[in-house]
Amino acid sequence: MSKTYFDETHCAIGHPKSTFMQWMLTIDHKRIGIMYAAVMFTFFFVAVATAFLMRLELFAPGQQYIDGNTFNQAFTLHGVIMIFLFIVPGIPAIFGNIVMPLMIGAKDVSFPRLNWFTFWLYILGCIIAVSSLWVGNGFADTGWTFYAPYSINTNTNVIFTLVAAFILGMASILTGLNFLVTIHRLRAPGMTFFKMPLFVWGIYATAWIQLLATPVVGITLVLAIMEKYFGIGIFDPAKGGDPVLFEHLFWIYSHPAVYLMILPAFGIMSEIIPVFSRREIFGYRTIALSSASIAGIGYLVWGHHLYTSGMADIAKTVFSFLTFFVAIPTGIKFYDWIATMYKGKIVLATPMLWALGTIITFAIGGLTGVTIAMIGVDIHLQDTYYTVAHFHYAMLGGVVFLLFAGMHYWFPLVTGRMYNESHAKVAFYLNFIGFNLLWFPMFIAGYLGMPRRYFDYLPEFQIYHQASFVGAVIFITGLIYMFYVLIQGWRKGPKVGVNPWRATTLEWHLPSSPPPLENHSKVPYVDFDPYEYHHGEPVVKFDENMRRID
Amino acid sequence: MSNSLQGFDARAATFAADVEQAFWVNFWISIILFLSVVVPMIYFAWKYNANKVKNEDIENVTHNTALEIAWTLIPTAMLMVLFYFGYTSMQVLRTMPAESESIVVKVEGSKWKWRYEYPANASGHVHKIGGAFEKPKLDEKGKVLEKGSMGITALYVPVNTNVILEMTAPKNDVIHAFYVPAFRMKEDVVPGRTTKQWFNATEIGEYDVECAEYCGTDHSYMYSRIVVLPKAEYDAWFNSTEDTPKGNYTKTGDALLLRHGCTQCHAIETGEMKIGPSLKTRLSKEQVLDVIKNGQNKLGYDMGAMPGGLVAGADAEEIAAYVAGGMKGQQPASFSACSSCHGEDGKGMGGMAPDLIGYDAPLLSHVFKNGKEGMIGRMPAYPDMPEDEISAIAEYLEKNSK
Repeated sequence: MSKTYFDETHCAIGHPKSTFMQWMLTIDHKRIGIMYAAVMFTFFFVAVATAFLMRLELFAPGQQYIDGNTFNQAFTLHGVIMIFLFIVPGIPAIFGNIVMPLMIGAKDVSFPRLNWFTFWLYILGCIIAVSSLWVGNGFADTGWTFYAPYSINTNTNVIFTLVAAFILGMASILTGLNFLVTIHRLRAPGMTFFKMPLFVWGIYATAWIQLLATPVVGITLVLAIMEKYFGIGIFDPAKGGDPVLFEHLFWIYSHPAVYLMILPAFGIMSEIIPVFSRREIFGYRTIALSSASIAGIGYLVWGHHLYTSGMADIAKTVFSFLTFFVAIPTGIKFYDWIATMYKGKIVLATPMLWALGTIITFAIGGLTGVTIAMIGVDIHLQDTYYTVAHFHYAMLGGVVFLLFAGMHYWFPLVTGRMYNESHAKVAFYLNFIGFNLLWFPMFIAGYLGMPRRYFDYLPEFQIYHQASFVGAVIFITGLIYMFYVLIQGWRKGPKVGVNPWRATTLEWHLPSSPPPLENHSKVPYVDFDPYEYHHGEPVVKFDENMRRID
Repeated sequence: MSNSLQGFDARAATFAADVEQAFWVNFWISIILFLSVVVPMIYFAWKYNANKVKNEDIENVTHNTALEIAWTLIPTAMLMVLFYFGYTSMQVLRTMPAESESIVVKVEGSKWKWRYEYPANASGHVHKIGGAFEKPKLDEKGKVLEKGSMGITALYVPVNTNVILEMTAPKNDVIHAFYVPAFRMKEDVVPGRTTKQWFNATEIGEYDVECAEYCGTDHSYMYSRIVVLPKAEYDAWFNSTEDTPKGNYTKTGDALLLRHGCTQCHAIETGEMKIGPSLKTRLSKEQVLDVIKNGQNKLGYDMGAMPGGLVAGADAEEIAAYVAGGMKGQQPASFSACSSCHGEDGKGMGGMAPDLIGYDAPLLSHVFKNGKEGMIGRMPAYPDMPEDEISAIAEYLEKNSK
């Protein structure tokens, strides 16, 4: 038995004997990815529980379980965890770390110690964010957007959350930097940009956003802190500041951040679709370049969050126009994926089910986004449940669903074992049905005028809240079931060897399963396309020394 | 309050139809785009399913220029249509009518109420309408006993007339948004800035106003109403000095007593005998209803009998309930926090918190700022309590002392 990355590791400092300390100090990208996953999914369930508490309160009008202030803190906690602790770092930190270096034939990321430091910076941010739950007036009640002057005036612990978001932003910048250098410098010889797997393209586009957009929110958060504690008068209207300026600065980062979340998810989709269609991907270059163009145009559309903020009409018009141009490359990707299925041999394994389910949910999320890109319509729908449903379809039904798809897809790579397929499929269907029942009624409620962030509501909206509640119960059951199936698979699943999906990309050509500490035995030479299939079988084959034998 | 939207087609302002049209154009284009993705996906998943396809039949199709141009250009054209409709509907919404042909009302949003100020009328009177909503009443288990009411905080406007809202918030307040779902309009109300929106209501009726920008504790109760009146009724009210129009549009409280003229004969502030007895006398709802219906002359008052039938229907019910309830009037919104310890009437709860009757504004202000160490327990400080809330609470307590 050869040693895997679970048996040995490199450490940032020294070589501690205890397994625990080896994990704490590990600089191996695969181990760091797993630790990110463990922490993130823990927080994910905290945020899901918080969301369920809110759904429970909203089951009927009036106050039942929690009061207005607690509710306000609950949705802030939910938003802060889901955005800053889970989705923004999510796919890059987990699969960017675990898979991306394997895909380009690297032994690790360019700066493994920085990677280790970044992980602990992330943990520090998490601790600061949640510690305010037990301090003073409790968790911030501002919403995850921290709008001034509310965040300036509130006496809850908004400082903790702002500092935490700043630190998490630092971690995000460092991750982006690390990945950018890795992708530029550590690709296997012969692997040009257009020979990279599309997941690497997604990570690459995201890394640029992390690097260039995150500083803006960092500065904004520092300004908000200075406004709150030193009264510098930049956002506070009582001191002559402009609260709308905060909204602009905040969304200059936070809108590109949406693409930062979705681009690596699209990358996962682009990996799964060809493998389970047993053929080459349709329109490789278009998909790769559309990621880049979404990242580019994504910087120029933040104003569509401010259609009702008193912005000039000409600015609204320009922002609306540009917003439609994000939809176009996204749409092209979808057609390319569907075309990849044409004349393929479609295997509806669990990762493919998640991917195809996401095509449906993300299409709804994307098209309802087009609705609220229309200025006149958005004036009605802004800050209603329509918007809430839209971004949950896009973020949860897009990013997180694809994260789950990737989890099922790369599960045998990470663990060397396989989960129970039929149980995993049941979990998918539970999630898919629960998800749609949970969020779809909110489109209708929002259209009828149910504003978001309401802890109590007019009785005519009750039916929609009740339908959502039923959906939430099914969805959460599905989530727990899914994780149970995966954990059981890791503990007891059958061992499946290095390439159970018969995929083509380099992460499936490792010498052992799970992979050894330094990945590929030799650096391969890459003079082939990432998804070369012939009659449903991978064209490129390697021997144990990574020499081609096809 | 079930007057928000009657189904998807309720349109109560001129531009609502434009917004609707834009929405439905978008809806159908979205359906087409959605089906153009999902139908082939499901079809391929069925047609090329692994158990139907032999490996030799797989074809690696990687490009089709005509198709790729088509699925780039056609959706682009569709999206441009949507941009156009979004743009035109915005223009209708955002092109302000001339002020000379409109009623300009100043709107102030503050935590957590709306206030309206009209221009001076012919006699120089300025209508200022404002106050807090009334929360829904709940039993101990939190079950709704009575829906909340929006009190008399309503914006009165004539039908088929341009109304421009000049909106702002106090500088030390936060951002709110004035949202009228039935009109399809919304605009943020920003402290230290004036934002504008306009409408022209086409249907007589009452419409909900909701705060749509998160503003804290009682964000979900920051309601108001827009009451659209027939022109004549509006003009009669506007040129008078009354707070609320005569008609069927005001509810509960002092306003009803005023409007039906009860207070011409009955005192409500003090126990004194005017033409009739003070309504502060303890009366049951049934008694009041009976008198309203049948009149009253048993006691042989100096000024003669009260005639029956002055008020009828729902208004009579409301008045009877109001009088029987001791005319507590509208509790200030912020008092709900006080009432959990000091009782609904502020007269204290034994062993819990003291009687507040007699606390005036300066004293309240001091306690809110510093908190208070009492013999029973500690009253926490609420340093953020605004001045106007404090004076509203003081007024409410004074009313209850009688």
